[in-house]
Amino acid sequence: MRELLRPYRLSFAAVVIFQVIGAVAGLAPLLAVVELGRILLSPGPIDDSQAWYAVIAGAAGLFVRLLFTAVSSGIGHLLDDRVQLSFRRQLATRLGSVPIGWFSRRRTGELAKVVGEDVSAVHPFIAHTPGELVSAFVVPLVSLIYLFSIDWRLTLITLLPVLLAVALVPLMMTPTRQREQEEFDAAMGRISSSVVEFVQGISVVKAFGGSGRAHHKFLKATDEFVAIFYRWVRGISGIAAGMQLALSPPFVLLVVLIGGASLITTGSLAPADLLPFLLLGLGLTAPVAALGHGFDEMQAARRAVGRIQDVLDVESLPQPARPVAPHGHRVELRDVRFGYEADHEVLRGIDLVLEPGTVTAIVGPSGSGKSTLVQLLPRFFDPTQGSVVLGGVDLREIGSRELYRMVSFVFQDVRLLRASVADNIALAVPRASLADVVDAARLANIHERILELPRGYDTVLNQETSLSGGEAQRISIARALLADAPVLVLDEATAFADPQTEEAVRRALATLAGERTILVIAHRLETIADADTVVMLENGSIVERGSPAELLTQNGKFAAFWRSNDGARQGEEAR
Amino acid sequence: MIRLLLRVLGHEYARPVRRTLALMTVTAIAEGLSYAFLVPVLRALFGSEPADAWPWLIAFGVAVAIYATLRYSSDLSGFRVGTTLLRGMYHRLGDHLARLPIGWYSTGRVGQLSVLAGRGVLQAMGVIAHLLSPFISAAVTPLTIVAVMLAFNWQLGLAALAAVPVVAAIQVRTGRSMAATDADRAERDNEATARVVEYLQAQPVLRAGGRTAERFKLLDDSLQEVQRASRRTTLSALPGIVGLTLAVQAMFTGLLVLGTYLALGGNIGAAEVLTILVLAARCADPVLSLAEFAGQLRGARSVLARLDAVLRTEPLPEPSEPIQPERHDLEFDSVTFRHGDRTVIDDVSFSVPAGRRLAVVGPSGAGKSTLLQLLARFYDVDAGAVRVGGVDVREISTEALMAQFAIVFQDVYLFDGTIEENVRLGRPDADDAEVRAAATAAQLDDVIERLPGGWATNVGEGGALLSGGERQRVSIARALLKNAPIVLLDEVTSALDPVNEAAVHEGIERLMAGRTVVMVAHRMRTVRRADHVIFLAAGHIAEQGTHDDLLHQAGPYATYWNLSQTPELHP
Repeated sequence: MRELLRPYRLSFAAVVIFQVIGAVAGLAPLLAVVELGRILLSPGPIDDSQAWYAVIAGAAGLFVRLLFTAVSSGIGHLLDDRVQLSFRRQLATRLGSVPIGWFSRRRTGELAKVVGEDVSAVHPFIAHTPGELVSAFVVPLVSLIYLFSIDWRLTLITLLPVLLAVALVPLMMTPTRQREQEEFDAAMGRISSSVVEFVQGISVVKAFGGSGRAHHKFLKATDEFVAIFYRWVRGISGIAAGMQLALSPPFVLLVVLIGGASLITTGSLAPADLLPFLLLGLGLTAPVAALGHGFDEMQAARRAVGRIQDVLDVESLPQPARPVAPHGHRVELRDVRFGYEADHEVLRGIDLVLEPGTVTAIVGPSGSGKSTLVQLLPRFFDPTQGSVVLGGVDLREIGSRELYRMVSFVFQDVRLLRASVADNIALAVPRASLADVVDAARLANIHERILELPRGYDTVLNQETSLSGGEAQRISIARALLADAPVLVLDEATAFADPQTEEAVRRALATLAGERTILVIAHRLETIADADTVVMLENGSIVERGSPAELLTQNGKFAAFWRSNDGARQGEEAR
Repeated sequence: MIRLLLRVLGHEYARPVRRTLALMTVTAIAEGLSYAFLVPVLRALFGSEPADAWPWLIAFGVAVAIYATLRYSSDLSGFRVGTTLLRGMYHRLGDHLARLPIGWYSTGRVGQLSVLAGRGVLQAMGVIAHLLSPFISAAVTPLTIVAVMLAFNWQLGLAALAAVPVVAAIQVRTGRSMAATDADRAERDNEATARVVEYLQAQPVLRAGGRTAERFKLLDDSLQEVQRASRRTTLSALPGIVGLTLAVQAMFTGLLVLGTYLALGGNIGAAEVLTILVLAARCADPVLSLAEFAGQLRGARSVLARLDAVLRTEPLPEPSEPIQPERHDLEFDSVTFRHGDRTVIDDVSFSVPAGRRLAVVGPSGAGKSTLLQLLARFYDVDAGAVRVGGVDVREISTEALMAQFAIVFQDVYLFDGTIEENVRLGRPDADDAEVRAAATAAQLDDVIERLPGGWATNVGEGGALLSGGERQRVSIARALLKNAPIVLLDEVTSALDPVNEAAVHEGIERLMAGRTVVMVAHRMRTVRRADHVIFLAAGHIAEQGTHDDLLHQAGPYATYWNLSQTPELHP
């Protein structure tokens, strides 16, 4: 936190200093009334001009207070805006560099909450707390010194309500309360993510809907939250109400008056000396009130900062200190081992060479590690052992820009951004000309469809229109075609395939083949048949490799695999 | 504000809320009135007989005790009512969201809803628990004090009273100008949240495109918009706050000047003047805090307004006298459906007799998925009718209608829970044996075997920890377990690698056996198994018939299939 805020030190200092000046000046009118009281209550003739001086001094104090607090609060809020933007940017940068695998263990809703709400929760910490907290302590301190100088006994009496309230504070900070507080935050996070789930899964919710049991999970999260909230409130509300009462003006005035009356009737206090206590005494409660009120927010802010810090502390994929440029685009996997968890290896010693100008198809049952393997090429993860080498250089030695220039990727799970069609296609090549974008779209079989959209290539997706699954796939193929990287990794994107999309995939592979290094997770027998090399993966290891024809003659696992599928298909065609 | 609150809450909560409000107001008045005793107390203390103060002081003590009791009970009541309302609110929102048509759920709504349903609801309910009481006391207590002043000295009282309309006018004005900037700000926040969600979910693509945070302009722009909106809020709030402070300070200065003038002229006793100045000082702080409270109340109000907008969105109307369909045939009768101003389904008619299979074929974007969604009444049609068992779907209760369908869609969404929980969603009251049987029939067994936690493996948000094929199998198991008479199938096998494909196929065959089926098909071999095929293009039926007939006609259907051919591979 301190690190994060360092660049803003000067502004913070200005906020605090202005606030203190303003707050102390605010005492002037009260002192003016005290002075007026002494003049009016003093026996003998009254000096008019002296009374008017007091009035002018009071009014001047008020004006200074107005000026300085307004400036302080203005600076504070503007500062807050800047700090929040910088936090959000830092979070986004960090989230853009952590290993992709990290995301599969996090909920989008919770992360979005950190970037959104948690950063906003820092607001009081920056815009209000420093100034308010400091003045909440400085003003009472000044008042206290002044009051002591008048009468120490009555000062002590005036402090009684404060002491009473302070005595209640520890009750609000017991470990139980703090645990409840943490549970509260956790439950809040669960609501956020259950809402994201609820809304995204709404078609399932509706399909199995009926008597409200499908959104059961959301309701469960909220019920749980309310229960925790209730427990927390019940624990704290009695104490809080008691504290509020001890600090309430009528109670403080009552205590001061009883003390004052006793001292005055016994003749040990001049009546005029009671006035400052009535006027300034109430101000002494400010720090405790700030503790009770501001502290809630402070603690909420502190917890939010903790969560922000947690995200910022996640290690990003390390970048090389001295990036090396790869020579050519031959890809080698050397004894690569990888596991998402320490004790569960997904890839167990993969040795594989992808020659430029060849297509390598990976086949294998689900869960054999195909997706994980291809994700190592764009360095979504680093292998736990062994290395992935591109153009003779370990991926870990290549700068990320260079790497992304070399390797492009078509994913099975297509995400279109809420941006124009052209921007979506040009995602990897922001400076591409429209002509290039159109060429890529044409090759990907999507150009005609784009022209039918309300504003053609300028149509904003997911806002002005939404595309079907197959169309989205073709956009992502166009993306890869435009990126024109020498290494292409294709998780065969046929999730929503229709004949046009299949045609697009085929054309893409045909167009890109040549000098490129292509690695495909093959879902279609057609792709397998056309590949130069087929790699059969099973349980994280390569069990067979070779050209499709060779493998078929070997009559091993691949042949069995091929025949089971091809056989099923032939049988059906005949039916 | 209160009316809006009550409407959002539902009127069964009106009474406790009103009671709490009344209690808070009475408390604030009691506080103001108790100060009236200060005048005689101080008059005695500042006079020649200080001991005369004691009876008045006792009276003040009694008044404070009454105030304390009221205050304590109104604080507690605020907390209690707030919590009860919180639960009611969440349930109301959840139930309502489940009833809204799917068409309502656009991408941007996810961000908006997660803010609203999370912190938003809490903030709205916090109005009662935390904000209303200080707000009421900050407004009502000074008013009562002004009345007390009037009773003791009319000149000073009137001077104080003059400030009341000024303060009120400033509050109202600030409120109006802030409402606009607040709404703007909330919109930017939602926009940014949606962008963040997008940014997180699209990380793989963005990275492959070399777009890290600083180069992803869409996100950075929306973050900057948030900052700008926030700055606008600050700047537009400043005049109000300064104006209020100025008004209050002018009032105090005025009283100080007038009081000094009157006292020096001997028109009023020193004790009275001093007491009134003490009371005036007492008024200033709460009135100044009005600005802060009002800001928070406005924030809560805009949340309430957004909740209200969601709650007022009409769900699909339920029939008043629902009809239970007896048969399982399906019919589209001249159906037209528009999405925005685009006609997605254009005057489509067909029927599927009970127990038969209909395949829907066509290019992407032809409206195939929409057609399935209309059958299950995810939307209502704009013209014509969709009938199940001869009954218009709008005449069937949602529950009865959903009981008719088992649905396997292309975008399989799994909830963050175990595989078992996800399968059981198909029929929550199924016993364990039935759940296992459905899983086995959907070929889930080897998936479960492979997973570290077996049945109890958590699948992650959206099923992220399973592969596409595995998710499909879960959704088939779900549909099998449901055992509904009509099956809606959005081509599922194409997402799969050959191994998964074979497994899924088997499951689907079991699912379709003996049921009425409508399937959106992309693969010729699936289509061959249908009794009837309709070829959909741009929202209308271009051709229909059996697969073989259509191929022989050499129309658009035949052209469509000619695009995809199977290669032969011979060693």
